[in-house]
Amino acid sequence: MNYKTIERIKIVTGLSAMAIIVMAWLYPVFFLVVNANKTASQYAKGDKTEIIWGTSIIDNAITAWNKGIGDGVLNSLLYGFAGSALAVFFAFIAAYGIVRLKIKNGLIWFLIIYSGTVFPFQMYLLPLFEAYVAIGIYNTKIGLILVYVGLCIPFATFVLRGFFLTVPWEIQEAAKIEGASNFQILYKIMLPMAKAPLLLVFLIQFTWIWNDLLFGMVLSRSVGVRPITTVLTGMKDLYASMDGPTILTATVMASIPTLLIFLLLQKHFIRGLTLGSMNAGKG
Amino acid sequence: MSFLKKDKNQAYFYVAPAVILVGLICIYPILRTLVMSFTDNDGLNPAKFIGFDNYVRLFLDPNYITPIYNTIIWTVFATVFPVAIGFLFAYSMQFLPRSNYFQILVYLPATVSAAAAGVLFGFILDKSGLINQILSLIGYDHLVRDWLFRAPENTYSMIGAYTWQTTGINMMIFIVGLQGMPKEQLEAAKIDGAKGLTLVFKIVIPMIMPYFVIASLLALINSFRVFDQVWVMTQGGPGRYSEVLAVTMYREGFVLFDLGYAASVAVLISLVGLVFSYFYLRSVLVKEDVGN
Repeated sequence: MNYKTIERIKIVTGLSAMAIIVMAWLYPVFFLVVNANKTASQYAKGDKTEIIWGTSIIDNAITAWNKGIGDGVLNSLLYGFAGSALAVFFAFIAAYGIVRLKIKNGLIWFLIIYSGTVFPFQMYLLPLFEAYVAIGIYNTKIGLILVYVGLCIPFATFVLRGFFLTVPWEIQEAAKIEGASNFQILYKIMLPMAKAPLLLVFLIQFTWIWNDLLFGMVLSRSVGVRPITTVLTGMKDLYASMDGPTILTATVMASIPTLLIFLLLQKHFIRGLTLGSMNAGKG
Repeated sequence: MSFLKKDKNQAYFYVAPAVILVGLICIYPILRTLVMSFTDNDGLNPAKFIGFDNYVRLFLDPNYITPIYNTIIWTVFATVFPVAIGFLFAYSMQFLPRSNYFQILVYLPATVSAAAAGVLFGFILDKSGLINQILSLIGYDHLVRDWLFRAPENTYSMIGAYTWQTTGINMMIFIVGLQGMPKEQLEAAKIDGAKGLTLVFKIVIPMIMPYFVIASLLALINSFRVFDQVWVMTQGGPGRYSEVLAVTMYREGFVLFDLGYAASVAVLISLVGLVFSYFYLRSVLVKEDVGN
């Protein structure tokens, strides 16, 4: 055998080994999907590794949807879209003010906003709950949107500040000379250039809001307000009344949106998420 | 120039909404929690200032040995496993063509919420769940047990589930690090006869040390304040055998309404977290190009 053949054998062996490891790594996902597609008695009595070809997952999905997952999905979509979009908007104009309009003591203003990523969320819970009850926005959709906006602004400002630092100054000066106002420069020049980072930050924050459990638990209580994660974990507490496959189907439903976002953007997203999780605030 | 000065004044209108929102949602609660931790606030009666009593109680109450001990176990193992396995994945991907497909698959669990993964692993670790079925299938009946209802098995099982979820992030950090590694130095070491583990420990790991520091500190920060996974899988139970400090804080605050005491637990979590964060931010600022 020549050198090339040996190299090829090595690569094929390596690829096969990695394929087996990755399949084992994803076995929990396989378990999830296979058992979501069973009836209650098939799951309770049967072999958990067995595949049953059928459409039980559709019945399970309908049951889960009617038992609260539907409300949870719709609520979380609202929180994800509104919370993330508003946070990105406020962060965008703030980063513009700090970097491009050169606010006095810009670094200090940035650090004040960025400080929102440094402390663990345990520091926020009690006063937020107390204040929400006092002003009457506990267990309201507005209340949850508000908290998600506030929590998402720091990281979004961090990324968008990075973007504004890379935009050449000549563009802004030329527009200034032609008489454009600051808002026109932001809206007509910066916004079209910032589409990619804006979308990325929006999707990262949407994913974070969709996956949040803690604030949903602390600031909401009723089915009409609770986000998907709290509804899902609540189903598990009502173990007796809810069968295994229905809860597993609900788990699939709760995971689909963020999974789609991830598969759509893949590498960009991984990079962004890695960056995002490296901001200490987002665990 | 006059228009520049005008810009600077206008800038306040652009920055104000973000500062106000962060002030209300993040900064005010942080300060209020700090104040609360020195009071006997129970949500009903007027709160009295009681100095460091909550903190003294936290360290003297034998009930809190378990959560503190569990938190230490979490911090150690939920850092070591995800970082080590993440590195192993990243390093072995180096030698494979089209490894980006594998990377995406390994990363996949990280995109799902901790709540969903917690529910899933609740089923896998259940008494009649997947793990026990496989164990009895391969003849290890003596290992069959109620994984989430026995200490210390429950803590280690949950760390396993957590590792599954967070390894992907560490892998990506190391892939970035390995890609930036100067290839000449690696080739030179290979020519000198370094291979296998020697190559990894003597050449590769020292070269990407900054990434190890970043990944480990990040894992420390996150595992020290783990909440979602534990709450979803055991709620800290049975009893408080698998409780960690973040669960203690939630339980004291929102189940027992001992708000002052809960606040002191939150402050304790923050203080330790801030020490990790300080070193973390320092190493990220040194190595600012990470992730690009």
